[in-house]
Amino acid sequence: MKPEPRGKVENAAYRQRAAGAKPDKALLEYRALRAEYGELVAVKDLSFAVSPGEIVCIIGPNGAGKTTLLRVTSGLLKPTCGQILFRGRSIDRMPAHRRAALGIVQLFQDIQLFANMSVLDNVMTGAHVWTRVGFAASALRLSSAVAEEKRIREAALNELETVGLAERALEFPGALSWGEQKLVALARALMAHPSLLLLDEPYGGLVQEDISRLTALLRDLQQRGVTILMVEHLTDVVMDVADRVVVLHYGEKIAEGPPQRIRHDERVVATYLGE
Amino acid sequence: MMRELGVIIPAIADRYGVRGGRVASVIALAVLLTLPLWGNTYLVTVFSTIALYSIVALGLVLLTGLAGQVSLGQGVFYGIGAYVSAICTVRLGLPPALAAVIGVVVAGLVAVPVGRAILRLRGIIVAGVTLTVNLVFFYLVVSVSSLTGGATGFVLIPRFSAPHFMRYSTFVFYLAWLLAIVCLVLTLHLARSRIGRALKAGNLLAGGSEDTAQVLGIDVMHYKVGAYVVAAVFAGTAGAVYAHYMTVIEPNSCGAQFSVLIAIMVIVGGVTNPWGALLGAGLIVGITEFFREVAPILVGGPTGAYELAAYGIVLVLCLLFLPEGLFSLPARLRRRREA
Amino acid sequence: MDTATVLQSLISGLTLGCIYAALGLGLFVVYGVTRVLNLAQGEFVMLGGMLTVSFVTVGIPLALAIVLAVLMTMLSGLFLYRFIIYPARHASGSTLAFLTVGFAFAIEGITLLVFGWEYRSLTAFLGSSSIHLWGATIFGQAPWVVGMTVLMVVGLFFFFDHTLVGKALRACADEPLGARSVGIDINRMALLAFILASALGAVAGATITPLTMTAYNVGIPLTIKGLLAAFVGGIHRAEGVILGGLLVGFAEALSAGLMPTGYHDAIALGLLLAVFLARPRGLLPAHGVAE
Repeated sequence: MKPEPRGKVENAAYRQRAAGAKPDKALLEYRALRAEYGELVAVKDLSFAVSPGEIVCIIGPNGAGKTTLLRVTSGLLKPTCGQILFRGRSIDRMPAHRRAALGIVQLFQDIQLFANMSVLDNVMTGAHVWTRVGFAASALRLSSAVAEEKRIREAALNELETVGLAERALEFPGALSWGEQKLVALARALMAHPSLLLLDEPYGGLVQEDISRLTALLRDLQQRGVTILMVEHLTDVVMDVADRVVVLHYGEKIAEGPPQRIRHDERVVATYLGE
Repeated sequence: MMRELGVIIPAIADRYGVRGGRVASVIALAVLLTLPLWGNTYLVTVFSTIALYSIVALGLVLLTGLAGQVSLGQGVFYGIGAYVSAICTVRLGLPPALAAVIGVVVAGLVAVPVGRAILRLRGIIVAGVTLTVNLVFFYLVVSVSSLTGGATGFVLIPRFSAPHFMRYSTFVFYLAWLLAIVCLVLTLHLARSRIGRALKAGNLLAGGSEDTAQVLGIDVMHYKVGAYVVAAVFAGTAGAVYAHYMTVIEPNSCGAQFSVLIAIMVIVGGVTNPWGALLGAGLIVGITEFFREVAPILVGGPTGAYELAAYGIVLVLCLLFLPEGLFSLPARLRRRREA
Repeated sequence: MDTATVLQSLISGLTLGCIYAALGLGLFVVYGVTRVLNLAQGEFVMLGGMLTVSFVTVGIPLALAIVLAVLMTMLSGLFLYRFIIYPARHASGSTLAFLTVGFAFAIEGITLLVFGWEYRSLTAFLGSSSIHLWGATIFGQAPWVVGMTVLMVVGLFFFFDHTLVGKALRACADEPLGARSVGIDINRMALLAFILASALGAVAGATITPLTMTAYNVGIPLTIKGLLAAFVGGIHRAEGVILGGLLVGFAEALSAGLMPTGYHDAIALGLLLAVFLARPRGLLPAHGVAE
């Protein structure tokens, strides 16, 4: 699966990263991971791997485990023990902003667009990872800063066009609908050229039309070589989109496999799908 | 000259997305710069003070308006700039210009560890901590009296080596305003840059989200400390110029009250608006001078220090009725009229 | 370093500690119930002292003067809440804190206008000037200060644990949403918190004036020290605030007594700051899971 950046975005680092992922080697691997959220043990002895280009869905009853897992992966939470490996390298000690540089980007359940800037600025912020201009160059408005700013702006407008929201670029997040905000958040995340997207209930609160749109987008991303790890509730969507499903129950993995097999797995039906 | 201005002002207006009211500000600024030609020394001094306070306030616009960090301790860096410069000139015999630069550098350097220690904290506690740091600084300055002149202050600080064809006050006026405009431009640039976005992203006071910023690759601490250092450099610059202008500095001019006053200036002007720093500084200094010079005439007796009540009332009124600062007043009135 | 000096410092420390603990308690009451940092708490203390002095000067007996002063200060607390805090109740914590700063400045200015800038004092409550104990001098007012604080602490604990109103206040502090759902009027409780804090401050102010004198500008340093006490000890629990107050008091007194070289203020404050930075949640953190 050859990754192909779309639009005018030129980014050698992205291509290098994408090219570096060997198809048969796991992109992301959890080994005996244990994470605690306050006094609650959210993730217990979890081990599984995600291959490049896969869409993996994590499902399970409501509980801190799934979101906690994402937060541990993106670096917002430290695991108590166990390991997380990305492209074979342990990243447990790496702070979140460095993981973003590696290509791991998380989207949140409650979207979290920056309310104090326009839609366009929000998306432009996503470019932070691969841009360089610092305090001095920005303050003095050196030509390198101006040039880079122009590139970021163009790339951002491109992403907004991809999700169909380019005309809303100068508005503020408050003026957009929930579905539109989700798309902006996605555009923002894509600006960071992720190789692994962590999505927390991306389909939450969407109407049918937006659901189809999002699924199409995710499949498109998969074509571009982005790996997706997502937490989701809606079973129809999961069955439709996922290549593989991992079922968590109170922090422990109780099943793993292709969606059709999981659907008929007795344990899963008993504890979750049957509810 | 007028033709150049006619080209520059619209160009400036375009570049910074400045609209009607702000073009007026630029024009007002241009007019202001002619002050020494027709104003008396008193006015020149007052406006020089406004320029210097604006510089400190601009740092706070960056730190609080953009990055969302409340700081009631800018007086520390103002004081470091002033005292270090004074000490270098008087005790080490260095030329004032060089000493001023050293003062600014020291202010910036001190800001790094202080910023790192303080900015880890979340919430309104930071305000209390910065106040305490200011108080510690105040006590330090008073105790190391052999070096700083203690509570009575540092006197007889040499002036800058200014050109002889203009009055010293005029020279400082232009120096202060040049620096103020430079700092204004730098702040405006930063606000609309990648750095500005990074700071706004992590700004919890204004709808940013640290978690989101982090996962998008922004090292929030790094940028906040950066903003803190820039604010410190601005304050240090103002302090150093002040020292060589007034030739006297004392601990009270960089104490907790000063820091709180700077915060009031930016709140009144509009925390997120760099132009607001100038407006706020102008207003507060205006109030101070009113009570010092004009009110005694009206009341028939000394009214010194009553400006405290005025500051308090202005602050409360502003926060209650104009939370975005005075600059939002035209927009608000327009909205009222349309409604 | 003889025992007399150490003893003197310890006694001063206890006295100062009680003052700061009282200040911290005022801050605690407001912060706990409303999450507002009342930077005008020191002004309530100042008002308590200033008004008491004025009433006594006019000839009103001491006890009555104190009562009147406390009542008037409580009125200012009511004003602060009703006309300044309440209209802005949905604003951010920083805005609310700045509003209290504005109020503090206004109070200072008005006090200056009405009372002038001189320092004023009050004779100690029982008239005696000092007690001598093992070479140390205890100012006659000191036991009153300590006693006042002890009474305050005991009174508050009783109030919060055993009275309906007090328990309602505590509920607001611990669980604002839950409190609302059982019908507690948060607004009334917030008002009560401000009035209570102003009363506490005023009582403290009246009691410490014979020791420390009062003037229009003593509010701000008191507030800062009170803040320090609250944060070093932990503003989420009354015990934390009291501990913090005592720590600040002892730090100040011991450093003044044992290091009379002039740096003691900076060192004491700096040390306390360092302690706070090491444990930002306070030495006695909140009950239960951290926020």
